[in-house]
Amino acid sequence: MRTQAIDWAAVAPPTVLALGALLVLVVDTFAGPPRSRRAALVPATLTVLSVVVAAGPAVRLWDATHRTFCVVRPLQGPASCSFVVDRFTLVFWGIVLFGTAVVALLGTVAVAEGRTPLGEFNFLLLCSATGALTIAAARDLITLVVALEVVSLPAFAMTGLRRGDRRAAEASVKFFLVSVISTAVMLMGVSLVYGATGSVFLDRIDAALAGGVEASQVAVVGTLLTVVGLAFKVAAVPFHMWVPDTYVGAPVAVAAYLSVVSKAAGFVGLMLVLVDGLGALADVWAPVMAVLAALTMTVGNVLALWQQHAIRLLAWSSVAQAGYILVPFGAAGASERAVGASMGYLAIYAFVNLGAFAVAAVVGTRYPRQRLTDYRGLVRDEPGAGWALAFALVALAGLPPGVIGLLAKVVVFDAAAGPATWLAVVMAVNVAIGLVYYARWLAELFRPPVTEGASRYDVPNGVAVAIGMTFTAGVVFSVFPGWLLDPVLGVLG
Amino acid sequence: MSAWLLNGLVALPFAFAVLTRLLARRETAAVVVAVLGGLVTLAWSVAAVLAPGPDVDLPWIAQLGVRWHLGLDGISGPLVLMSTLVVALCVVSLVRHDLGFGARSDLAALLLLIEAGVLGSFLALDMVLFFAFFEVALIPMWFVINGWGDRHDEAGRRRAATRFLVFTVLGSALMLVGFMIVRSQTGTFDIVQIAASYRPTGVAGVTAALLVGLGLAVKTPLWPLHIWLPDAHSKAPTVGSVVLAAVLLKLGTYGFVRFWMPVTDPGWRLLAPFVAGLAVVGIVYAALACLAQTDLKRLIAYSSVGHMGFVVLAVATFTVGGVQGAVFASVAHGLITGLLFFLAGAIKDRYGTGDLARLTVLYGKVPRLAGLFAFGAMASLGLPGLAGFWGEMLAIRSAVYPSAGLPAPTYTVLAVIAAFGVILTSAYFLALMRGMLQGTPAAVRPVNEDVRSVELATREVAPGTAEAGALRRDVDVLEWLTWTPLVALTLLLGVAPGLLLVPISVAAKAFFGGLS
Repeated sequence: MRTQAIDWAAVAPPTVLALGALLVLVVDTFAGPPRSRRAALVPATLTVLSVVVAAGPAVRLWDATHRTFCVVRPLQGPASCSFVVDRFTLVFWGIVLFGTAVVALLGTVAVAEGRTPLGEFNFLLLCSATGALTIAAARDLITLVVALEVVSLPAFAMTGLRRGDRRAAEASVKFFLVSVISTAVMLMGVSLVYGATGSVFLDRIDAALAGGVEASQVAVVGTLLTVVGLAFKVAAVPFHMWVPDTYVGAPVAVAAYLSVVSKAAGFVGLMLVLVDGLGALADVWAPVMAVLAALTMTVGNVLALWQQHAIRLLAWSSVAQAGYILVPFGAAGASERAVGASMGYLAIYAFVNLGAFAVAAVVGTRYPRQRLTDYRGLVRDEPGAGWALAFALVALAGLPPGVIGLLAKVVVFDAAAGPATWLAVVMAVNVAIGLVYYARWLAELFRPPVTEGASRYDVPNGVAVAIGMTFTAGVVFSVFPGWLLDPVLGVLG
Repeated sequence: MSAWLLNGLVALPFAFAVLTRLLARRETAAVVVAVLGGLVTLAWSVAAVLAPGPDVDLPWIAQLGVRWHLGLDGISGPLVLMSTLVVALCVVSLVRHDLGFGARSDLAALLLLIEAGVLGSFLALDMVLFFAFFEVALIPMWFVINGWGDRHDEAGRRRAATRFLVFTVLGSALMLVGFMIVRSQTGTFDIVQIAASYRPTGVAGVTAALLVGLGLAVKTPLWPLHIWLPDAHSKAPTVGSVVLAAVLLKLGTYGFVRFWMPVTDPGWRLLAPFVAGLAVVGIVYAALACLAQTDLKRLIAYSSVGHMGFVVLAVATFTVGGVQGAVFASVAHGLITGLLFFLAGAIKDRYGTGDLARLTVLYGKVPRLAGLFAFGAMASLGLPGLAGFWGEMLAIRSAVYPSAGLPAPTYTVLAVIAAFGVILTSAYFLALMRGMLQGTPAAVRPVNEDVRSVELATREVAPGTAEAGALRRDVDVLEWLTWTPLVALTLLLGVAPGLLLVPISVAAKAFFGGLS
């Protein structure tokens, strides 16, 4: 057996993030607790730097597909690889890296509060992001499951990181238990699929299923269990119960991470497993996904209607948005168009939602209770944050001037209309329901403030940068949507 | 040159809106800029209509096949001119208006934003682009109702605003689903190509036509989907009602002509007659509802439902005459109902109420205002010689001679009922004029010789004071300036309908290949 050549260029970005995580930990250990506010920004700065360094080699991978960790068995056709970096992977890496940088910057609001150890926070964040990068490149079930756990384990710790906060601890435990169960279910499904097809590589599973396997019933059960396991990760109804409590209990930055990066990792797992691996069984899982999508968006939107707590509202809205992302799976089955639509929605949702969380983090410094009425007059009090949140809400609702949010819905409708018109109609109704609560929140922003006066917020620089990043991205892509959507939707074409 | 004219028509109001907002600290300057924006856009639209040129057609989102396709023809041209005129007049009317609360300049900026979205929708020849512009106007309109609406009823105006938003978005989302199905059938979003070559068939074709029609029916609105409209109109500020009625509803009727007709086959036995039937029910229902209204703005709002019924009836005949009737009636409704809402707002400003039980003898107090209202009401009920007549006449005429594939007897019955609706319309407008302008015998019976003794305001006002003077304040210069163009055009189109009908018929024949 010869030694394998490793394509270091392909594995560089996750490696850089892992090394960055270690660096943050070491620096934090030697520097001790930060003595000034400026010193407290060091871990976040290191995290952002790691992200930038990781993004460098990633950009150069766009032109050709890179494969590594391959198994060659001459009698069984072409080599199967565990780690593949293609354009699909890179688009997702873009989402993860952008999200990680924004979350690291959001973490700096905790500086003033002083109860969250920022060194550990950034270490865990980078660890989790390493897993998120890996999962997008994983092309076998083992790598995929392990990477998914690498995403989740640090996330539990991040959720409960705030010292002396019982809500955070409770949120963390709840999140942990749900996640462990979902992993167990998924492992069961994965092992059944392996048993039925004799391989863990997605391409070989696909080939085996397409050729017809003896134990097809086993493969079907395995598929359904895998779907259920991943449905927990993406918080699809009825596997969503952990979301609101966890988001509310966790620090806002962590909630943002869970709703964007961690959830995106779940979706990418779903895309890879279902489309690349189990594409031949689309007849089985597509109807399941369609029902899940319809349930998820309806429950998410309807329950969001009653929320008065901003983060809880965002939590339910993020459940609803997960439903929209699932629509193309349910509608188009195993076609590549479905993945394109879901990727497009996910990419847009990522920075729009991060923008909303970023402003929520600012308001949370003044109003920890996060009632919607606490946002009254924000546009007048703190125009930068106010307009950014207004834009994010309008884009989440899918209306101009958030053109990009509108196009996200266009993309999903495009995938669904025709193959599953009923699902598209359900989604249309949901878009209208969703408006009610976004509009309610929006109205608060523009109401005259209770007390006229100068800005009452002390916006930390890091968060200001995060808001600026998400807002600028939203506006630029609203004016030139092709810049984002053409590469993302062209991923598979 | 033409590309500049078309893109400018969308970009100008947007740019002026941003500029107005940036100047918000200096209220007067901001309002002046907004007025300038309204007038410049009006002039620009005249130039664009007078200098026809090729379409703008550029790729916008290549992967989705969405194109930046703008064009202007005889179908969209009249609506564009009417919209720019009405918005310009609305902004001009804000020069003096004391709203009591909320910044005038912000309201003006929102009106210009709405204008940008509306003009984009009229110009768009790509289905997704139409949808996107269609939605542009919604958030600003929501702000207008929510922020500047009925100041006595905050909960009510919020409910009205949100209901307007939710209904409209539901409609447009369904319409978008329909567009996507059409795309999956034809492979293009370009409505010009679709109108020229698409022959809708099968379940997918019917579903698409149903969804597009349903979405537009909410916007237009078609009975029974009109329930958002009376609230939105009555709670909105005057300029909001004017823009909503005159301009925003036209997105629905224009959508029916431009985007629903090409994806619908008149040969289907059920769909077109069904739509025509709903339109006629709407005409009669609206007229009956008007007879029962006690609030002036709600009454005018319901009368809009009736007028939109005529437009949709005309569309559902699938004839050139129908298209002429639909576009002409849309423009006429914009001018006349715009004027009526301006007048209703003026009355409400003076007397603090729109309650018809309290408003009487306006001829005696504000004769010019009352005279203008009588003119508007006459135009609205379809008096020959004024603009309102031709649209309704053409709608009924084309219903008598519908397209070949349609069941002629059904349409004849519908035409007769619609004509009956015209009579009912006359009935409620005459009742309104009698009650509000002339006053009932009981009200006029002189308690003493001074008509002012028939108190109109919500509270007692001592005669001779400044406030009593306000109650008798007749049309002032700014109001003349704002309303005269509407009156003049109503007259002009009444005596010379060919000004519009000829270009509309030319454009309709060019756009729809096989229309007779």
